[in-house]
Parts: sequence; C-alpha cells; structure tokens
Amino acid sequence: MSGVVNVWEKVPRKLTLAQWLYLPEIVRGLRVTIRHFLRNLVRIRDLPTILYPEQKRDYSDRFRGKHILKTREDGTLKCVACYMCQQACPAECITIVAGEHPKIAYEKYPLVFDIDMLRCVFCGFCVDACPKDAIWMTGDYEMAFSSRQEAIFGIDKLIEKPGLPVKDGYGYRPYYPGDGTVPPADASVSPVIPGDGERARLREAGLLPAFRPSAPQLPAKN
Amino acid sequence: MSVVEAPTLSPSAEKIRARLSASPLSEKVGVGDLDLPTLEVSPSDWPALARFLRDDPECHYDLFLDLAGVDNLKRAGRKTRFEAVVHLHSLPHNNHVRVKVLLPGDTAPALPSVHEIWPAAGWFEREAFDLFGFHFSGHPNLRRILCHDAFVGHPLRKDYAPGQRWFATEQDLKMPAWAGETGERAEHFETQTLSIGPSHPATHGIIHLVARLDGERITRAETQIGYLHRCFEKMAETHTWNGVIPYADRLNYVSAMINGVGYVKTVEKMLGIEIPERGVLIRTILSEFSRIMDHCVNIGTNLVDIGALTNFWYLYQPRENIYGLIEACCGARLTVSYVRVGGLAIDVPEDFVPRCRELLESIPKFIDDVDRLVTNNRIVRNRFQGIGVVTKEQAIAWGLTGPMLRASGVPYDVRRSYPYDFYDKFDWDVPVANDGDNFSRYLVRMEEMRQSLKIIRQALDIFPEKGPVNCDDWHVVLPPKDAVYHDMESLIYHFKLIMEGIRVPQGERYEWVEGANGELGFYAISEGGGGPYRLKVRPPCFPNLAAFEKIIVGGTISDAVATLGTLNVIAGELDR
Repeated sequence: MSGVVNVWEKVPRKLTLAQWLYLPEIVRGLRVTIRHFLRNLVRIRDLPTILYPEQKRDYSDRFRGKHILKTREDGTLKCVACYMCQQACPAECITIVAGEHPKIAYEKYPLVFDIDMLRCVFCGFCVDACPKDAIWMTGDYEMAFSSRQEAIFGIDKLIEKPGLPVKDGYGYRPYYPGDGTVPPADASVSPVIPGDGERARLREAGLLPAFRPSAPQLPAKN
Repeated sequence: MSVVEAPTLSPSAEKIRARLSASPLSEKVGVGDLDLPTLEVSPSDWPALARFLRDDPECHYDLFLDLAGVDNLKRAGRKTRFEAVVHLHSLPHNNHVRVKVLLPGDTAPALPSVHEIWPAAGWFEREAFDLFGFHFSGHPNLRRILCHDAFVGHPLRKDYAPGQRWFATEQDLKMPAWAGETGERAEHFETQTLSIGPSHPATHGIIHLVARLDGERITRAETQIGYLHRCFEKMAETHTWNGVIPYADRLNYVSAMINGVGYVKTVEKMLGIEIPERGVLIRTILSEFSRIMDHCVNIGTNLVDIGALTNFWYLYQPRENIYGLIEACCGARLTVSYVRVGGLAIDVPEDFVPRCRELLESIPKFIDDVDRLVTNNRIVRNRFQGIGVVTKEQAIAWGLTGPMLRASGVPYDVRRSYPYDFYDKFDWDVPVANDGDNFSRYLVRMEEMRQSLKIIRQALDIFPEKGPVNCDDWHVVLPPKDAVYHDMESLIYHFKLIMEGIRVPQGERYEWVEGANGELGFYAISEGGGGPYRLKVRPPCFPNLAAFEKIIVGGTISDAVATLGTLNVIAGELDR
C-alpha cells in the first residue's frame, strides 16, 4: 500500500519560453525520432515489423491454430465420438455424427467430424475437453476461404496424416503436469480402467493432487 | 422477504437500517445482507429512497454504478417477476450497496426514473428499457439504446426465444428528435446538424455522434451506440460458467485478460474457492501488462487523432512485445481465454519470469520517449489543456470511474479501495489530477503505466518458482489429463465438468475489479445449474461515453475528437 500521487507534481503547468517558441522543441523532438531512425537503420534485424508472408513471426508451441485430429499407429482416428468437445465448444462450431466402429465391437467412431472455421474462436476448449487425446491444435493460422461451405473442415482436412509433417508444427495440446509441452504417450494403448490402485500410484507420483477435504457442498441439481 | 433477513447484519447494512429507521421510509424498505448490503423497495418509494441514499451524510451513495434488470420467470420463491437491481458506491465511506426495486406486473413493469438524482442512471435506464421493457416514467429520452429501432421484443426476458432475427434498413434507424429541427438560431446561416460516424476513423469503433453546430461550436449532441451489440448477456445464459470466458474476453478486447480475471473472480467467490498464490500472481502480472497495453493503445490512437502519428509507433512496439509474452503463455495474442474458474488453462512457460523482466527493462524507454515528445509539446498542450473539462462533481454525478474519475481529482481505484488478490501488499500510488481536462487524463494514464510496471516488479519478486496454479477441487477444475486417460474416477469428474458445467451454489454476487478504463463489475445470479441464470456486466466505458455528449457541448468538432480519444471507449465492451 502506498499513497496518492498528483501527476501535476512532475509536470510544469506553464511552458517555458523556449517551449513556446517551437524551434528548440523541434530540435529536441528530432533528437528522439532521429535516434529511433538511426537505431532501426543499424539494427535492421531487430525491427518489430516483419516482411510477411516471406517472413513469419515465431509463435510459441502453444499457439492455438487450426485443429488436427490425432491418429493411432494404424492411421485410424483416436476420436471415439463422445461429443465432449462439441459440448464444450462455446462457439458451437463442432458437428459430430457417431457410428459403430467397423473393427472394434464396443467402440464408436466419428462418421462426420466437422469444424466450422468461420465460427471457431480458437479458444482451445475442445483440446481441454477431449478425454482421448484425439484433438490438438497446430501452429497453422493461414486459412483463407472463398465460400462459407469451404470453411467447414471435415475429417479429410483435419486428420493427421501419419508420416507427413504437420504444417507449422503442433500448437496447443493437452496439459501435462511438468512443463506442459511433453507429448503424451499414446492413450489408445494404455489401460483404460486401472482401478483404485492405479489412482493411488498416480497420487504418490505427484500426478494427482490430494483431494481437498473442504470442497464446498453443492446443492442437488433441481 | 427474499433478501436474507439475518438476525445480525453486517456493520454497513446495520448502519443503513439504523439511519433508515429514523426516516419515514423505515417501514417501506427491507434491509438484508447478501454479499453486499441489500435493500428492497417498491417502485413508488424508489425515488425517495434514492434521494435518501444519496443525501444522507452517513450513507452518501454518490456514485451510481449499475442498473441490472432481472427476469424471475424461471426462479422459484421470488415476489415479483421483474426486479431492477441497482449497485451504488459511496466515495466518502468506501462501500457498495445493492438496491432491488421489485416491479409488480408480468408484462409492463414500470418504475420512476432516477436520472435527476444520479444523471449516470440515464443510459442504464435506457438499457433496461431496451433489453427488459422496463418503463421509466419521467425519463427524458426513453429509446432503445443497444438494439436497433426495428427490433421487436425485449431480448433478455426469459420468454424471448434467442435466435430470432430482426433486420433494420436505413429507413428504420431514427435520428434524435431535435436533429430535424431548424435550430436554436434559425437566422444564423451556419447552423446545421452534423452526423459523425458510425464508421469514422475518429470514433474508435462504431459510434454515431449527431451534433448540432453553430458555426464550428457544438450546441447540442447525442451519441447513438449499439452497432456492435451481440447480447453477450443472453449468450452467457445459454453457456456453462467456463464457456462464458471466451465471450468475456471480447468485451474489452484491448485488455482481454482483465475481463477474464474479473469474471472468474465473481464465480470463484460464489463457489468459495481459493486460488494458489502462483496462479493469482500470474493473473496479476498479465492483468497489469494488459493495463499497460490498453493505455498504450489509448494514448497512441488519441495522439493520432490530433496529428501526432509517431507516438503511435513507439507505443505499439511494447504492446507487440507484451502480446508475444501472452501468446507464449496461452497460445493467443488478443482474445486470450487464459483464465478458468479455479485457476488458469495452463501453467506459464519456464522462461516466464526472465521474459517479464526483459519487458520491464524495455517498456519504460518507450514511455519516456513519448513523454519527451508529447508532454511539453505546445501543440498537444493547446489541444489538450483546458479542453473537455469534467469537474469533480460532474464526474461523480455522471458515474465515471477509472482514469476519467481520477483525472478529475477523485482517488477511487478498486485496487486500492477494495484490494483484491495481492494488491494491498504492493507498494504503489494512485495517480490523480485535479483539472479533469484531456491533458490530465493523458498524464494519469502515463503515470498509471509506470505504476503498473512497479506492481509487476514487486509481483515478480514474490513469484514462487514452482507450485500449482489451479485449485485442487475437481468439482471446479479439470483433473490432470494423465489422470483422465488412466483413471475412471478422474474421467467421471472430467465428464461431469464438461457436459454439465460447474455447479455453482444458488445465489447472487456482484464482484468488481479495476479494468483499464474503470470499474469493471460482474453481477451474476446462479440457480444451481451449470451456467449463469443471469450475468450483467458493468462496462466502465458505458457511463464514460454517456457523459461525452455533455462534455463536448460548447467546444469545437476538433475538440470533440480529441476528447473522445481520452474517454477510452472500447466498442466491444460498450455495446456488449
């Protein structure tokens, strides 16, 4: 805590004669602008502006760009059409139609997985919502369309092609304890229902926080 | 009585009750205590209570903050279908109060206007008329303000189906009634009505100013807004508590982080949860950087309006660097969606502290350069000093907050008056000026940037190197992904949170933070569902712009442009 400062204390209310006469002030002002000009000329590489599209800005590996649907090793989608990303999406831009998996008897998979890129606000809620590590974002932000229909990306445009590089690299992806950028192990080959023993092990390893006993008691939903 | 009539009231509520009991209103006003002292009154007694609250020396609620309509159609146990909820602040006694005006009637609720008691109420009453259909008797200009003139119905009523579309053509848009009149001095050949905007470079967003001119002097003006209205408040009602965050970012998009922090603070207080120190400090640091950005944009564009283009480049460079830092934290530059109820989306990167320190080194150089070019510049002085003057009394009456109010000599800063997070632990000053002119507002903003840097420096000094950023309550925050993939129980928590949303206990709350241009308040009502029943924003630039048409009368058009720049009006927040 501290007090209140009157901004006029540091600034003279009336200008001096020299300041009224423009000329000395012009010289003083030019000193600032010419200093900037010369510095930019000498250190042209440090300029904040860039020559897009020849040059591109370096974004972090958390950048929230175009989505990508992750695949298993055999090239099938990890997505199990659980609708959680569709539900979490604040812009309501995801459309999923689920079908029965042709090979695995108990699993669903998306027949349709559309993202309307014109509606999408790139908030990353779908990535946070996915329980199967199936949707990530990439660093790709160059999406131009010539029609609204074209802006609806289906599975063919969203799927990660195994073996092919991801345009502009991976962006925002599920958060892991640690540095938050470690690519996860393939969730599809991990045991799905480990039971309580597994939970205790995770807790010991520091991956699960201890449950807070003072959690607020919420009223029953009416 | 729906207000909790607790046997023991908080000291401030008890004081109001004691003062009220001595007045003729004592039987007519219910006094209770929610998160704030809450009064209940019928429409007929509302003006008398308003006058009492403003004039009583022990109450003295002089700053009108907000008027929110509430439709109780789907809430059980309320006395009336409609309520007008008013939030007031007392500058001498430094406390907030809430007044609920209970409106009888299901279709045409009516209450007297209080614009004569608090001039700031004028626009807020128009807003409630527009969105709820409240009829304010005695209001001089009760027209739609956010929706256009061809709109049918009142969108925030619960029986209004969202998704209806109403199209306005040019013929539907009404000018103020006086715009067509021949003028105060018909014999004067230069009297004319001038329309500036809606799309005009000086309006910074989409604002329509209709001005009556006598020569070059403005004799009368009216601002028309709503061109960017998307009914944030209706959309919030159809989303989960977390799903509102991307929408909240788009209110004041120049400092998106502060909106998110203010909104989740409201929800967290309703849940009664605490955030770990590291999470709070990240929010504080990025909020203060956002405030610097906001002031950079404001001062930069304001100077462009009066012809000083160079400063714009000098001020946009630190902004660019701050965007780089924010992008490294959350993955987006402008609309960050970084905060979550209960913490943050993701921890900051490892090089966060060094990057912040680098910025702390570089930003003052740009501020000093602008200071050198502008502060003692004769042209700027002539354009700013003594122009757009708002006296202290006017500023309070018009409901101004933030740098506008402080430039008029009132040292009200939410971070100081109601310290939240760790603001009371930091050593910083509230900049004020006494003149209330454009130049004072510029000086206050310049000093605020320096004070923000001071706060960030202290926050970095106590910043814990490691530690959680989220609270550990899985009723609120998503469990770690590792656990979700491998553990059934975590998956269930995850599923319930995503599909149903956070279950916030029934109740209501008004929480406020210091936004870049004033007090940013969120009034939320929960009915125990996964999303808000009602969410009202108190946008700081709404009363600021409401005052604009009064400030500029008597000045020239070019002064009006310079003044508009100093109000820091952000259309996304103004029109919601």
